[in-house]
Amino acid sequence: MLDVQDLRVSFSTEEGTVQVLKGLSYSLPKGKVLAVVGESGSGKTVHALSLLRLLPPTANIEGGRVLFEGQDLVALSEKQLCKLRGARISMIFQDPMSSLNPVLTVGEQLQETILAHRKISKLRAKALAVRLLKKVGISDAARRYGQYPFQFSGGMCQRVMIAMALALKPQVLIADEPTTALDVTIQAQILRLIKDLQQQTGMSAVFITHNLALVADVADEVLVLYGGLCMEKASVQAIFKNPLHPYTQGLLNSLVSINKKEDFLPAIAGHPPIPGKECPGCPFAPRCSRALKKCFQDRPPLFGKKGHQAACWLLEEKA
Amino acid sequence: MFHYVLRRLLLLPVVILGVTFLLFLLTQRLSPEMRASLYIKDPRQMGALEEVIQKYGLRDSVFKQYGHWLANALKGDLGYSQSANMPVGQAIKAYLPATVQLAVATIILVVFFGVWFGCVSAVKKDKWQDILARLFSVGGFSLPIFVLGLLLLMLFYGRLGWFSPGGYSVYTDMIVHGGDFHSYTGFLLVDSLLNLNFRVFGDVLSHLVLPAVTLCIGSFALMVRVMRSSMLEELGKDYVRTARAKGLAPWQITYKHAGKNAVIPVITLASIQFIRLLGGTVIVETIFEYPGIGRFGVIAAQQLDIAGIMGFSLMVAVLFVLGNLFSDILYTAVDPRIRLD
Repeated sequence: MLDVQDLRVSFSTEEGTVQVLKGLSYSLPKGKVLAVVGESGSGKTVHALSLLRLLPPTANIEGGRVLFEGQDLVALSEKQLCKLRGARISMIFQDPMSSLNPVLTVGEQLQETILAHRKISKLRAKALAVRLLKKVGISDAARRYGQYPFQFSGGMCQRVMIAMALALKPQVLIADEPTTALDVTIQAQILRLIKDLQQQTGMSAVFITHNLALVADVADEVLVLYGGLCMEKASVQAIFKNPLHPYTQGLLNSLVSINKKEDFLPAIAGHPPIPGKECPGCPFAPRCSRALKKCFQDRPPLFGKKGHQAACWLLEEKA
Repeated sequence: MFHYVLRRLLLLPVVILGVTFLLFLLTQRLSPEMRASLYIKDPRQMGALEEVIQKYGLRDSVFKQYGHWLANALKGDLGYSQSANMPVGQAIKAYLPATVQLAVATIILVVFFGVWFGCVSAVKKDKWQDILARLFSVGGFSLPIFVLGLLLLMLFYGRLGWFSPGGYSVYTDMIVHGGDFHSYTGFLLVDSLLNLNFRVFGDVLSHLVLPAVTLCIGSFALMVRVMRSSMLEELGKDYVRTARAKGLAPWQITYKHAGKNAVIPVITLASIQFIRLLGGTVIVETIFEYPGIGRFGVIAAQQLDIAGIMGFSLMVAVLFVLGNLFSDILYTAVDPRIRLD
């Protein structure tokens, strides 16, 4: 459905150009959910924004392709891209409260999305919008339609964002940490909602998160991102049962489980790399307890069979 | 909302009392003899000085004199303006409409072009449109109003003869005071349209052009800057990214989404400037001999016309409070998060 090939994104800063994504490749099958997991600064949000070219002006897509239905989104004109955005590929964001315009009613923002892509009367668009609000679980939708975002809770705002994203039955949904800003109880509800709607409509989804625990619930496939590079990609079962990359193993180790009794939470020592100041080899090498000399010098390619790959020199001999 | 408006209106007497009392206190710095002499036109009647002092109670305590003025003012009698040669109330009624016309014309120019240029400047940040707008606004900001006014007058009146100073031409004066012309509102622009006299309308409008342009330049510069920075801030916000992600057209994102948020500080600025224009277009009205309230105020001050000064300040204070109230109400129309209660 979505084929990302060697996507490279850099930011121009006062200290020169900094590469944030260094050649990310994956393909998203139809009807599947891919979770992109990574900690802050790993480039996961930049990756999400670059898919629809929503990056800030200081960012630059240096290379790579994003293929969608035979078109390369990186090469498309802004005008052609506008037709795709929100209609065929839509997106929801991390902070639902600030993602909605504070001075326009929720209904108006939903209605204009529909009107931007479909030639129907305002009245029909409104009816459709109210139906969508009901569908995402907003009670008293007709009245809520005329209210402003500040009259909604965070969870409700995210429901509105979801309604907006799904209004035109897109083929792909990109969800950039959609539950991070919400209360834990609301998180589960929103996650359930996204998953249900995804299954109902059969769309594909890219689900970006820093929370591995969420991944097990929603994703079919997982891609672990670190320092702008793919560390490991596999099916969700394979990742949890048999993580290959030391970084993935570290992440899984630091998950809290109610079945295990632990006195302290194991964490990965050190800090994630500062963009532009990574080591030339594997970006994880400085924090890796099993790092070889080679790890600091050469960037590891992806090893393993198709379906479960990891970028780690430790896997070289096995391959 | 209703309660808010009521509370603000209750504040009105406090402001008025404060302003007028302070001013009244200042006039008391003049000795009773000096104040009495202002009533005497003929130097040969200087002997009547003491009589005048007694008659108007100029030696009474400040409070008693102020109370006297206030009591009369409440009855609608603001005294007789020596400089305008008519009662102060009548003078305000005669001169205010022209100033309101000028202020409205100016603020329309300022807001329209200021918002427009500010928007373009922000959207085309660091491109030639932005640089041009910024140059223009720095230039406008640093050009003193009296210099610009005189330059415009020299060029468009002196050289080209397109626009002339004053409020209207002799022709209009004749028509307006000629009997057939019905004064509905006191505003010549509106009245001329209601009388279907387009020649008068055109004449009054052409006399508005130079003072309005002069007044608008400085305010316009400020408006462009405020709109630009406000717009830049809004364009960087999350909801703009959402609007882009929805596939909206760029003009919709700029004007409907960012613009509506960015215009909020502009409302504050525009209302402050509008109030300022109503009360103090003194320099411009003087340069262009425009028969407005500012010129009335300045002449009253020059000629120590105490009743005129008091009346003028009273009017400015009232306008100030009402103008602020109006801008508060305007906020609620733009920003739903603001509720007045």
